[in-house]
Amino acid sequence: MSMGVFFFLPLVLPLTAWPVARLAEQRLHPRTATVLLSVTAGVLAVCSTVCLALLVVVGTAQLPGNPLPDGWSDPEVRAAVPFDEIAGKASIPALVAVLAACSRTLWAHRRVRRRALRALEGLRDSSVAVLPDEVPYAYALPGGPRRTGRIVVSTAMLSCLEGHRERRALFAHERAHLVGKHHRYLLVVRLAARANPFLRPLRTAVTYTTERWADEDAAEAVGSRRAVARAIGKAALVSRGAPAVTLAHLAAAGPVPRRVAALLEPAPTVRRWPSVFTAVGLAAWTAAAGTTVSALSSASSAVTLFLVLKAATPL
Amino acid sequence: MGLKGDGVVDRDATGASQRPRPHRRGRGELEAQVLSALREAPGPVDTAWVRERLGGSLAYTTVITILTRLLAKGVVTRQRSGRSFVWAPTADEAGLAALRMRRLLDGESDRQAVLASFVTSLPPDDERLLRELLGRAEEPED
Repeated sequence: MSMGVFFFLPLVLPLTAWPVARLAEQRLHPRTATVLLSVTAGVLAVCSTVCLALLVVVGTAQLPGNPLPDGWSDPEVRAAVPFDEIAGKASIPALVAVLAACSRTLWAHRRVRRRALRALEGLRDSSVAVLPDEVPYAYALPGGPRRTGRIVVSTAMLSCLEGHRERRALFAHERAHLVGKHHRYLLVVRLAARANPFLRPLRTAVTYTTERWADEDAAEAVGSRRAVARAIGKAALVSRGAPAVTLAHLAAAGPVPRRVAALLEPAPTVRRWPSVFTAVGLAAWTAAAGTTVSALSSASSAVTLFLVLKAATPL
Repeated sequence: MGLKGDGVVDRDATGASQRPRPHRRGRGELEAQVLSALREAPGPVDTAWVRERLGGSLAYTTVITILTRLLAKGVVTRQRSGRSFVWAPTADEAGLAALRMRRLLDGESDRQAVLASFVTSLPPDDERLLRELLGRAEEPED
């Protein structure tokens, strides 16, 4: 029993990533935060899914009608998993749901990208596509192995920005998304959130930090933080009729005002972590240590379960 | 399932008897080519003219299909002329691309998965806060 609970840890340990997500979002340079949180989310999601798959094997191999070899569910192994039968049965629909949700996300990703690329077919092959549309929008459309990424912007969006500096800010922001390959981080955290709902706060955090990352790159490219702040603010005000895609904002302010406020402050330092000797530093280090331990123990319990299974299976 | 209708027209599966083409063109590309042919025309022209203009390698029915699709999108108009139709453009290639992009943006709830938007929606409280912040951003640069 003592060892048994260990096996369920990878499923709940993603909870410990919440404090680090919050702190990284507020305190770290957005680039560092994006990479850190995406890697953490990816590792925790893989561990959680492996754990789920192993529970399916151990918990159900001996049930009548199951095609898995009985040896895969050795009594010794089953004894190590508490409530093996219930856990095994419950993990089947859970695993199916995870796999289905992840495939759907991947498929939707490919479909949207292909449709968007196809929409632009026949246009001159330039890095920026300006489309005549009275609805303001601007998107970074990632390329593929054979195509380079493109920036798609509507005439309505451009006309709400004043002066070439604000327009340059918009283009620099979108170009930063393409150059930094931000869509990959976003895909990782989206898949992770599908694999384990406890990882959703990391998805929200990374969605925000990639925007901040692009804002910072744009501010550097344009040479004015305020120009970027103005461009974001004006774009948000003309786009405000758009339907809400996110849930109600629980934080005091939504992402757009926070981005603008951040740009009105001095540029963030690239220094990785705050000192341990401040309250923030101590909290950051504690949260980071907690996340590392979670990831390691997730991984180790998945490996342990795998080894136990392998030992019980005469191959 | 959903992969169908998304890809390239005239896949092998649709008819082995079809003439091989040197370059298999996507649906979007064909639409744009037909539209640009119409835009180069001296006035309203019939389907045969468009087909000729595109090199004559496309099947007549394919050209009709594309023209009908463009008509449904409101990018071309047609008028009866004798026993057939003559076609004229009402938008350019960028207009066509804009239409297609809008369809994608309006119809895809998953678009955030791929397309990182410049800004997200703005609740009323955020709007008030944002206007205050913009006031600060408008101050002259130090």
